[in-house]
Amino acid sequence: MPLSRPRRATATVPLLVAALALTACGSGDAGSGDGGGSSADGKPEGDITFQTWNLRANFKDYFEGLVKDFEKQYPGVKVTWRDQPAEHYADKLSADAAGGTLPDVVNVSPDLSHPLAKAGVLMNLDKEKAAARFKGDYTPEAWQGNTLPGLGGSYSFPWYLNTGPLFYNKALFREAGLDPEKPPKSYDELFAAADRMARQSGGRTATLAGTPAIEDFGRYGVRLMNDDATKFTYNEPKGVELLTKYKELYDHGGLDPQALTNTPEKSGQKFLEQKVAMNPGSAHDLDTFKKNAPTLYRNLGITEAPNNTGRPNMYVMGLAVSRQSRHKAAAIAFAHFVTDRKNQETFGHKVAVFPSTKGSLDDPYWTKDDGTDEGRVRVASAKMLKGAVNYTPVVMSEEMKTVLRNEVAKALQGKKTPRQALDDAAAQSDKLLRQS
Amino acid sequence: MRRPSASRVRTHHAVSPWLFLLPGLAVVATFSLYPFLTTVHKAFTDARTLTPGTWVGTANFRAMLDDEQFWTALRNSALYVALVVPFTVLLPLLLALLVHKQLPGVAFFRSAFYTPVVASVVVVALIWGWMLDDRGLVNALLHTLGAGPVGFLGNAWLLLLSAMALTVWKGLGYYMVIYLAALANVPRELHEAAAVDGAGALRRFVSVTVPAVRSTMVLVGALSSVAAFKVFSEVYLLAGPTGGPAGQDTTLVMLVQRTGTGLNGRVGYASALSLVIFVIALLLMLLVLRADRKEDL
Repeated sequence: MPLSRPRRATATVPLLVAALALTACGSGDAGSGDGGGSSADGKPEGDITFQTWNLRANFKDYFEGLVKDFEKQYPGVKVTWRDQPAEHYADKLSADAAGGTLPDVVNVSPDLSHPLAKAGVLMNLDKEKAAARFKGDYTPEAWQGNTLPGLGGSYSFPWYLNTGPLFYNKALFREAGLDPEKPPKSYDELFAAADRMARQSGGRTATLAGTPAIEDFGRYGVRLMNDDATKFTYNEPKGVELLTKYKELYDHGGLDPQALTNTPEKSGQKFLEQKVAMNPGSAHDLDTFKKNAPTLYRNLGITEAPNNTGRPNMYVMGLAVSRQSRHKAAAIAFAHFVTDRKNQETFGHKVAVFPSTKGSLDDPYWTKDDGTDEGRVRVASAKMLKGAVNYTPVVMSEEMKTVLRNEVAKALQGKKTPRQALDDAAAQSDKLLRQS
Repeated sequence: MRRPSASRVRTHHAVSPWLFLLPGLAVVATFSLYPFLTTVHKAFTDARTLTPGTWVGTANFRAMLDDEQFWTALRNSALYVALVVPFTVLLPLLLALLVHKQLPGVAFFRSAFYTPVVASVVVVALIWGWMLDDRGLVNALLHTLGAGPVGFLGNAWLLLLSAMALTVWKGLGYYMVIYLAALANVPRELHEAAAVDGAGALRRFVSVTVPAVRSTMVLVGALSSVAAFKVFSEVYLLAGPTGGPAGQDTTLVMLVQRTGTGLNGRVGYASALSLVIFVIALLLMLLVLRADRKEDL
């Protein structure tokens, strides 16, 4: 006997709910969207979302003010700002992109924007007239830094830049008989200093806490990829030469015994505890040293990362616009507003990052040392930025970085020759690249 | 008022339990069954994080055979089971025997042994990391004894053994509580009779306690072997995201995490790995339960 109408409805509702819940979980085809409704060159209006990457904790007031100013300038637009923690940011982006809920304006670095652009969820700014007209506002290097190989254009408005100084412990340098005012500038000087440090301390003090990463290969002058970014080339003789020198360094105690497993956080901790003499960092670290390691702070030296090319490494941040945005004109206007000269310079005064807008770095704030430690780092870093490049290939995924790190570790352990290790790393990474 | 017919009452009785079950079933279907079925399907595709992928048949499973990392991870996960499970079966039983007796202050020890269970694995692993560092507490103690330093966190094998020790230590309290419940059901008379017959403490343990809690031991063995095979946090936190020096401490679940997440994640391959883990864990559990049945015969 069939259920009466109300009872049938009672039985059917949970089934429908379950069915809807099941179908709602299906992953969408991120690349299938046609880009949404409003045109990019229309009048900026509508509700948009803006996502930053771990910036709320320190810059809540700045971003709230920024949103307010923009809404005042464009009364038809409402911006909802949200911030995501640093950890698992890529996972959050991938979930949003797959679910079709990517924010209209989203904070990305080139290695994050590459897979998103490849999946067709980001707007190609070079091909969108309304966005491309702002290209001249930024330095050519910064715009180029966001241009993705094989994808025919730039996919983010250049935002802030950073180089990251190299900190060193002058007291440990003195103990090892090294001149604390003359830190190593090239890789050969670094290896010589590390060898001396290890010998003088009887193996107790290492110079570095980590193994060479892709940026080190770049700064050493190794060609990292072929011109069309389809094949890794860090296994060329120059790369093998660098790894061979690192192997000697590891054998002589120039690297921390746990260098093969240290994360950047652990390396930072070891520098803080004065167990290693040099460590890369950022101007944020100065406060940590001041508070947690006053002895180290008194002996702190700041220099550039060793470099054989004369072109330091640059970290690039950008603001991408979602192709799925329903209010593209508003999203473009807001992304440009956040990254325009005035707002980038204001942000650069709040935190030790550097604007990517044309002419900004000629401002005395970034060219004149005010005598403070922060000022010294700022001016030194800003100087380094001119001519800096982003060495990390944008097509290099986290898995490819792990492959390189593990093969480097095998070479340092002596399980493979440096040539074999780099050949294997390049072959595995090329395979992953072909599959992507 | 009209009374409902007998057939309507029967239908009502047949349908009502299902209506009560539906919310629970919907949750299970949504959060367990659907993801599982999706994983099975994805295992036969070349899906990536942002692309649904196409059917590739058994290509992912064939790729595993040539993947050096897969064999390293399988070896590590198998070793984890082989070395951790005997300790998680026996040590908690001995602890339970110690705190089973009603002695003054025994509640303190029960709580103390259980504390690691409620502590966050992240915090615990960080503390172990500091202790096992080349200039940490353990090496400082070894130094005072004129030994060391030992590279607990720099050597792949020592790192894996350290992670195993952490797993055993953290699980002791949980399995101890299970044994305490089992021991409460062992008749005191059996021990008294054995004692009267002249059996010593060891003899009573082997001939009375162990047979009485054998089913619980099998349960603990099954639970801990599946948990050990699926280990992630302890190794990840001590060995780092690369899985120790040159990835030599990678376990199967770590490999799934490494290959399947991020914007370039190889979801198809990671799903195939997950399926392999599921099948092996299932076989492991059946094996342990079968051992229990054999002894009953």
